[in-house]
Amino acid sequence: MRRATPMVIIVLWLRGVRRPIFPCGQAKNMRPLTQEETNTFFEKLSKYIGENIKLLIDRQDGSYCFRLHKDRVYYMSEEQLKIGSSAAGDTLLSIGSCFGKFTKSGKFHLHVTALDYLAPYAKHKVWLKPSAEQQFLYGHHIMKSGLGRLTEDTEQYQGVIVYNMNDLALGFGVAAKSTLACRNCDPMTIVVFHQADTGQYIRDEDTLT
Amino acid sequence: MGRKREILEDDKPKKGPGRKTKKQPAPSFKALLGDEGPKKLSHKQKQRQRKREEKKAEKASAGAKRKATPTPNSRPSKKPKLLFDSDGDDDENLRSSDSEEEEMQDEFSEDDVLSDSESEALEKESGKKAKKNEKKAANAATPKAKKQQEKGNAKTRKQEKMAAPESDDEEEDEKSDSDSDDEDESDEEMDVEKASKKLLKKQKQDESLAQDELMLNIKSQEKFTLPSGQEIEKEDILDLVILSECSLLVLLFVTRVWGKRDRVVNASNSRSGGRGISHIRHILADFSERREEGRSRKEYLDQLCRDLCARFNYNEFLMERLLGLFPNEIMDFLEANEYPRPVTIRTNTLKTRRRDLGPMLIDRGVNVEPMARWSGVGLTVFDTKVPLGATPEYLGGHYMLQGGASFLPVMALAPQERERVLDMCAAPGGKSSYIAALMKNTGLLWSNDANRERCKAIVSNLHRLGVINSLVTNYDGRAMKKVFHSFDRVLLDAPCSGTGVISKDEAVKINKDEKDILRCSHLQKELLLSAIDCCNANSKTGGYIVYSTCSIMVEENEWVIDYALKKRNVKIVPCGLDFGKEGFVNFEQHRFHPSLRLTRRFYPHTHNLDGFFVAKLQKFSNKIPGEENKTDQVEENGEESAKSENKTDQAEENGEDSAKSGDAESKGKKAANSDTKKQAKQKSTDKDSETSKSSSPDKNKAKKNATPDKKNFQSGKKVAGKLKKPGFLPKKGFKNKKKGN
Amino acid sequence: MADEKQSLVDTVLSQTSNDQQLKTTNVENEELIELDEGNLLAVNENKIDTKGFKKRGENVLLSLTRDATQVLFNSLWKLPESKTWLPREKPVPKKKAPTKWEEYAKGKGILNKKKSRMVWDEQSQQYKPRWGYNRANDDTKDWVIEVPDNADPYEDQFEKRKTAKKERVAKNELQRLRNIARTQKKKVPGIGLAPTEQPSKDHLSKALAVAHKSTASIGKFTDRLPKEKPSKFTGKKRKFEPSIGNLGTEKEKQLKVLDSVSKKIPTINVTKAANRVLRQDEEKRAEDKKSKKTPKKMKGRKATLGLGKPGRQGGGNKKTRGKRKR
Repeated sequence: MRRATPMVIIVLWLRGVRRPIFPCGQAKNMRPLTQEETNTFFEKLSKYIGENIKLLIDRQDGSYCFRLHKDRVYYMSEEQLKIGSSAAGDTLLSIGSCFGKFTKSGKFHLHVTALDYLAPYAKHKVWLKPSAEQQFLYGHHIMKSGLGRLTEDTEQYQGVIVYNMNDLALGFGVAAKSTLACRNCDPMTIVVFHQADTGQYIRDEDTLT
Repeated sequence: MGRKREILEDDKPKKGPGRKTKKQPAPSFKALLGDEGPKKLSHKQKQRQRKREEKKAEKASAGAKRKATPTPNSRPSKKPKLLFDSDGDDDENLRSSDSEEEEMQDEFSEDDVLSDSESEALEKESGKKAKKNEKKAANAATPKAKKQQEKGNAKTRKQEKMAAPESDDEEEDEKSDSDSDDEDESDEEMDVEKASKKLLKKQKQDESLAQDELMLNIKSQEKFTLPSGQEIEKEDILDLVILSECSLLVLLFVTRVWGKRDRVVNASNSRSGGRGISHIRHILADFSERREEGRSRKEYLDQLCRDLCARFNYNEFLMERLLGLFPNEIMDFLEANEYPRPVTIRTNTLKTRRRDLGPMLIDRGVNVEPMARWSGVGLTVFDTKVPLGATPEYLGGHYMLQGGASFLPVMALAPQERERVLDMCAAPGGKSSYIAALMKNTGLLWSNDANRERCKAIVSNLHRLGVINSLVTNYDGRAMKKVFHSFDRVLLDAPCSGTGVISKDEAVKINKDEKDILRCSHLQKELLLSAIDCCNANSKTGGYIVYSTCSIMVEENEWVIDYALKKRNVKIVPCGLDFGKEGFVNFEQHRFHPSLRLTRRFYPHTHNLDGFFVAKLQKFSNKIPGEENKTDQVEENGEESAKSENKTDQAEENGEDSAKSGDAESKGKKAANSDTKKQAKQKSTDKDSETSKSSSPDKNKAKKNATPDKKNFQSGKKVAGKLKKPGFLPKKGFKNKKKGN
Repeated sequence: MADEKQSLVDTVLSQTSNDQQLKTTNVENEELIELDEGNLLAVNENKIDTKGFKKRGENVLLSLTRDATQVLFNSLWKLPESKTWLPREKPVPKKKAPTKWEEYAKGKGILNKKKSRMVWDEQSQQYKPRWGYNRANDDTKDWVIEVPDNADPYEDQFEKRKTAKKERVAKNELQRLRNIARTQKKKVPGIGLAPTEQPSKDHLSKALAVAHKSTASIGKFTDRLPKEKPSKFTGKKRKFEPSIGNLGTEKEKQLKVLDSVSKKIPTINVTKAANRVLRQDEEKRAEDKKSKKTPKKMKGRKATLGLGKPGRQGGGNKKTRGKRKR
């Protein structure tokens, strides 16, 4: 044991040199999600893409995984994970693509950055008229008047992906009314609650990731 | 609750102005400064203005009628005017005089900025101008002189009226006003007319005199003479005197002084304006023939430099450098810096194609056209009705706003699929996203930037553009080699003085000096070495480093590359860009490696891109020259075999060195004894003292006087030693693994 | 002998009193005197007070001379700055570790405000110390206390105040001890749960966790509810899987979670099904009621119902769908 100590000291010293000391005393490195976190995360995700989550986990073209880093969930390939873990916790700002973040109370919020994964697998979609496009991109809810099309069978509080008429994904939200109820409400009622839109890339650049 | 504050060491209560005081704007003394903008009218004044305009319109129509049926209509229109004329007119006069003063200033600056041809054209027109000026002066004079000399006033007005046919719109307004005034004084009209005719005659005479004198001026300056130092001072003083004189005399001898003043402007033009510059350049083109006796070339150059500085608002240091870089094309370059480069956008091939994006943008009201033939993804924007940075396509990540020049380093890098690529100074992520697009979102793209705030832009941009193979970190680029160093390609778009993008940031003209350039250069050298260290020479597909800056200074470009060639086992390879100018090999006191010809320079005036420099390096060995010997020694402590090994290493290395360094250098020199000579030579060529040490692998010497620099390399060298195994994870990764389990 | 001694003392005393007072080495207007130590020269170039000179004669000059000499000598005897660095006997005292509050305040940027020591006392109409003996606004000295509204009339308000004060003192003391313990890296004894006015949800679950453990067997045999979640307050730290572990097993775990999540998503749309059933019933009734003749409208609808297209919400064709609802 005694002989081993100098080595240990050297190692510690080196580590001290390389790694910045965190003010909170805990290393903020990446880690896999716990069972509960996975649960809440998948529940939220399934509102938008249903069982298509499986396509994200079980991929043919290589192994991909979710990692939690500073309360945010990132989706990355194995190579990225391995190389990325050589970067120290607080210097690592983003790896792969960010899906969203866990709030302090343990809920999960999807970010607009997940749109690239949600859009292709979306179950329910909403198309906006060109006039309402800009409104949505400024973070407003969608009125009946701005609604172009809507997937049939959309239930209330179902997650929907929002497109413009050129099939360009603009963001996502939650249906405030079911498809049926949408038909006979007046044009100023809110049909889809805004959750995230691509305008946030400009508006919330600092807080997004 | 709320957000936690960052814990600082010394927390002291904040001093200085609080929030409230910050809100208040600084006091401004507009009246004192005398640069009032357009005056805000009070409600009543507005009303009056409106009425006046109505009246004018009426009068115009009435005037048309009057021509058909003479005078009697004119009487009734006069009366209501009297009600408000006194102060309303006064007021307007004031305003107009203000605006005219501004115009005067404008003219000054115009004179300064105008190019040769324009200024010449101006001179031709100057006759016209003289008239104009006269009139303005008259206007300026009226408010004060009004009460004292009604008559004189009337005269000037009359004169105005006579000159009216050539006048501008606003002057017409006044004219119509004065028209109405004239009608008041129609009784005196005969006298006034006589006087004004006299005046007109005199004025014409003056003009012709002025014209003659002007021509004289031009003739005398056909043979350009350099002003001496005293002369320059004198002229400055003269200018001042005459100008102050002007302000005094304006009230008294309006016409004459204005004639004079015009001449002054011309004179000063010939010194600091385009004529002087073109003359000096003309002389410098064939110096021995055209020069004035007893004047050295340097004097002319200095004068040229001064003139250019004055005209384009550069500081002298920068202008000297630019003159050194572009002895012939300096004017083109400077002019090009005055105009912005065309706005270009890059299609994000991860999400769309150029031929899809183009029509879509045109639908939005953006006039685009494919960029030059060398880029398959660029679009040039001519004009746009919508903000380009906020269209749904932009937000959806279909394109990126990016200068054309920033495509170049990425194209030179030519990243392949499934590679590991490092972008060392990535913010704001334009180049990074292009790299990812070329890699088709495979492999790994590590984007790093030292500035944490700017890193956020990288993250946002990469996500927006749908890049999924990225990794964004916030390290100092110089520390990157310790984090991970097995990249296939490295792009270093180094922070620089920005002398290539003056059109984007005018401040560069003034605020850069020698120190800034050298500071940049030093940082760039460190970064480049670090970039080279990060790259893995044993990579199957890569081992390339691309260095680029948006500066055109040789110190920040060729010098840095030359330094890296001496310090690391790298060579320059062609960039793969078939246009652009070759890099310098000889520049002023610098003598660079001949292969620097393979680097590329881009200029605003030749390529209509931002000023840019691109160099592509290939790393052929992971060893660091002058370093591995010492590692060997440390590792094989005391073993005799080390010595022999070192010797062979050294010999090999010298071989490499000589192969690297120019033909002239290597010719007829034995590797073994060339060390000292080479060192001496390098010292002489390279002013930077850093280079002198490790360029030659004289290991004993180096070991004895190990400087901090050396020590650095020592720590880096351990890493290099490990590098022999390709494709491994760095130590930290391993450690984490072990510890975590 | 004694007399002699006495006389000696007397003479000395009288001499000293005669010598006037011996002056100190300090000189009043030192800065007026210019010194040139190399030449042992001291110069006072100031004007002599003529009035004083007339009165006191040369004494003025003498005193000035003395002053100058004194200053000169002072400067001659001045020690130069020390060169060697002498070690301290004791190390520099360490900075006191910040208390928990201080840390918190620092994090939040809360700064200390200096409060004045004296406070205006309404009752006695004078300034009194804020705390301590004879303090201002002393509520322990009240001889009568109003019973507050909706308070128990039989409660002893004096006693209540006293206990509250004691509690506060005790809490403060505990806080102090804990701060000390924390700085010395000693384990702070848990105090269990301090009573609070409005216990939160966390508070309750904490109390529950403590109660669970408070048996002789440290909660080993405590009964649990059938679906009780494990407490958050077990005192154990969370442990996570390694970041670079086996991705295969991780994937399987996630698939399992996904299964459970997707089970929660009902495969049958209940509202939709219920709607359909209701409508079918309605139609049946309508058919029964009405004559055999079916109106033209219904024909199409019947057919679709018969086919039982699952995707359609309303049945019928597009034209009729909207109308029917009204």
